[in-house]
Amino acid sequence: MSDIRDAADFVVVGSGAGGAPAALVLAEAGHDVVVLEEGPRVRPEDRGLATSEAFARLFRDKGTQVAMGRSVIPILQGRCVGGTTVVNGAIVWRLPEDAYERTFGSIGARDAVPLRALETKFDRIEKDLSVAPASDALLGGNGRLMRKAAEAMGYRGHAIRRNVIDCQGSAHCLEACPTQRKQSMEVTYLPAAERLGARVIGGREVRTIDVRGDRAVAVRGRDAEGRSFVVEARRGVVVAASAIQSPCILRRSGLGGRKHVGAHFRVHPGTAVMGIYPDDVRIWEGATQSYEVDEFRKDGFKLETVSLPLELAGVRLAGIGESFTRAIADYPKMAVWGVQVRAEAEGKVAPSGGHASISFTPSERDMLVFKRGVKLLAEMHFAAGAKRVYPGVHGGPYELFSRDEVDTLDDLPLDPRAYGMIASHLFGTCRMARDAPDGVVGFDFGVHGVRGLWVVDASVFPTNLGVNPQHTIMAMAMLAAEGIAERAPSA
Amino acid sequence: MELFGLGEGARARLAVVLADVFGESPEVARDVAQFMDGYLRDAPALAALGLRAAIWAILWLPIVFVGRPLPVDALAPETRAKYLLRWSDSHVYLVREAFYLVKAIALFGWGAHPVVRARFAMPLVSLTARRT
Repeated sequence: MSDIRDAADFVVVGSGAGGAPAALVLAEAGHDVVVLEEGPRVRPEDRGLATSEAFARLFRDKGTQVAMGRSVIPILQGRCVGGTTVVNGAIVWRLPEDAYERTFGSIGARDAVPLRALETKFDRIEKDLSVAPASDALLGGNGRLMRKAAEAMGYRGHAIRRNVIDCQGSAHCLEACPTQRKQSMEVTYLPAAERLGARVIGGREVRTIDVRGDRAVAVRGRDAEGRSFVVEARRGVVVAASAIQSPCILRRSGLGGRKHVGAHFRVHPGTAVMGIYPDDVRIWEGATQSYEVDEFRKDGFKLETVSLPLELAGVRLAGIGESFTRAIADYPKMAVWGVQVRAEAEGKVAPSGGHASISFTPSERDMLVFKRGVKLLAEMHFAAGAKRVYPGVHGGPYELFSRDEVDTLDDLPLDPRAYGMIASHLFGTCRMARDAPDGVVGFDFGVHGVRGLWVVDASVFPTNLGVNPQHTIMAMAMLAAEGIAERAPSA
Repeated sequence: MELFGLGEGARARLAVVLADVFGESPEVARDVAQFMDGYLRDAPALAALGLRAAIWAILWLPIVFVGRPLPVDALAPETRAKYLLRWSDSHVYLVREAFYLVKAIALFGWGAHPVVRARFAMPLVSLTARRT
């Protein structure tokens, strides 16, 4: 069977927070752009489904992707046109100056990726995507209780800034917004790029990049039916396939060197603590994630609400039979808050058959931060009036009934196997560095030693940000694409 | 490609387990076991292999955990409760995690079940046929 053949000035691999803004900027500059996305387009009937069905249709490996290490940590990523922006909590965080310094300042990239330039992109994105703090109505019971706790304990907190228009508060952000109110990439930048002539093609998995001489000239892969395709890139290839897939594509192609591609994998692992309140909370009403406490961000963690659907709330509850029945019966009175840790540990990503092999184990310092976060969340639940708290740590108390019992959490184990963790913010596997021996891409986002090949997703961050990354990825991708449009090799 | 599924016997035995784990009616537990069968047939091979192995172990290893050479559904209710508790509260991570995996996937079916959602006065969610 002959290959499906196509060509464009720029081939953008991936359609999420990195690929979509990059494609839009390149299209705005008048270039012929094709965006290749492994996953399918999101149809109206794919939105707001039960969690398992959303996982099956819209997530990588149908939601079963995990990092293996001392414990098994689910790694959730979107796999659809729009990428993870379709299935995230719509949280928009401007990169704070201290995080910028840690990320770009620490590698000497202040001139190449200036904070001021990122700020202008943040301004544009926030306008384009209608970013605003969650209204009081959208805080829902979950957010209102966290606000009450923050105020009672004197912690700095605020309504989460979100990219939504007229959000209906269905708490279905993670299953693709059922009413298309979330301003994710498949309803914003991708259609905008298409209006300028870009082609967005779902169901096209890029496996390798062809290089002729020292220049990237095409991508190869297979479509959803298993047919091979080749797309020639007259001016270059922009890889934005995520911190998991981008290094796998480079590694399969023998590009980027062997030392750093797939190494330095960083994440923000998270876990949740549940509180049961005297009155109804009804976490299925309001924004999925509506309020956060960033008092401890510089200590390496952030606290935020997460309105887990019934299916996932049950997963977080230990116990069987009567114990489970009693706990889950209180679901309408349940508030669920999570701690997200800026973990210092590094893992690895490598292609393995048709998938990615991911390894990651939190360090002891990471686990100390986790433990502190769990304890703080328990204290906050009681400060907000919870009558019972489920810390959710194996080996610790199953439930707490008063604030006086919270100190028992000082004895929680530091073994990651005791915690039910999850990670969805992924970084570092094609890290940026001025010189080839130290990283995969240079300050111009170009892969060292290859012309016409750039990486513009979270894999280039040399560390994890400590805040929700989609905003920074979008801004960085726009900035990178402006440079690419100007400096790319001629056709 | 369908590599894994549950036969009629495995589904029936699993339904007994799920009724105990969730404190649920036999009818709902049967539906959830049916959901698990569909999930297994549609899941990526590696995940399906792990889940199928975990289900097999839970159905057939009372001999190891409570010393009874019987499948799980043939245990007396009190013994079965003790057996399942030994899985869920095990100090061995892999044992606990295997049980957690089965429970987690089963909860996807349980939490989307119309009877369950009606019980919580929650809006229904669409759990359409998985193989679309």
